[in-house]
Amino acid sequence: MSKSTAAANGHSLWQKMPKANAELFALTYGTLVTELVRDYESTEDINEQLEKMGYSIGVRCVDEFLAKADQAGMVIPPCRAFAETAEVMAKTGFRMFLGVSAEVQMISDSSFSLLIYENPLSLFVELPSDPKWKDLKYSNLYCGILRGSLEQVNLRVECTFVKDVLQGDDVNEIRVDLKEVLVDGAGEEYQEE
Amino acid sequence: MSSSQVLLFVIVGKNEPLYEAEFHKSGSAGSSDSVTRQNYFVLHSALDLVEKAAWTTNQMYLKVVDKVNQQQVSTFLTAGNIKFMLLHGGRSEDSIKNFFNDVYELYVKLSMNPFYRYDTPITSKSFDSRVRAVARRYLA
Repeated sequence: MSKSTAAANGHSLWQKMPKANAELFALTYGTLVTELVRDYESTEDINEQLEKMGYSIGVRCVDEFLAKADQAGMVIPPCRAFAETAEVMAKTGFRMFLGVSAEVQMISDSSFSLLIYENPLSLFVELPSDPKWKDLKYSNLYCGILRGSLEQVNLRVECTFVKDVLQGDDVNEIRVDLKEVLVDGAGEEYQEE
Repeated sequence: MSSSQVLLFVIVGKNEPLYEAEFHKSGSAGSSDSVTRQNYFVLHSALDLVEKAAWTTNQMYLKVVDKVNQQQVSTFLTAGNIKFMLLHGGRSEDSIKNFFNDVYELYVKLSMNPFYRYDTPITSKSFDSRVRAVARRYLA
């Protein structure tokens, strides 16, 4: 799937999705994170919880993505390489669910970096200047979503936040590493997204 | 020590001051200690008058609530009853009103930050630098 088709698909899918108020969305996520902050002591635990929540969201995302694409009459062919997976995810998937496009930077055949310039989750957020917040990955939900959704299409990946705008960098960067291609239990054909 | 050189801006919550900033006119030396403490005293003693004035109008901007010697205290009351108070030595109503409106916008954005608890002291450095920039623009 070429880059421009992926982007065009993403845009048209996004237009069909029901919309939520961006501020409400960001504020809801913000209160979720602050609740976690109140419940857990260490930032590692908080990051882990966010990732787990993202995972639960991610496993449901793929089905919705493919179903909506089908409904819209789009053909999303099985990806022939991990790089294609990355492009479809960044341009179509992200655009459809969040309204923002991400950019892909391939690092190797089995790992890439996802660059997110505009993060709808971190609207209005400013981390306190206490040094203990340096390790908090505010948008770690994304890592879980990526892991969950890719696992549904038989790709086991590990995602980590490498750069975070809230921590002072200029862009949000998520590193995605492919660990294993899982084999479906039933049937010889398996779909890679 | 002309007190119109120093402007004192305080944000007061329900129980305590949440933010304080002094703006000196560029070029002038800092005030001596006693003048500074007097400024705080004058400003905080105007709090009762703010409560009184709040009942007289349905505007957020309460204009000048107190006059002491050469100094005046202007107040802006936010929807959540947070008081923005400015101690000054006579500035145009318009520039103070614009100053308060801009600070109010900054305050609203700050309160949308999930990490900031409402009615707690404001420690954000970026809020501080932005307020000072607004002050330089309207009150310098």
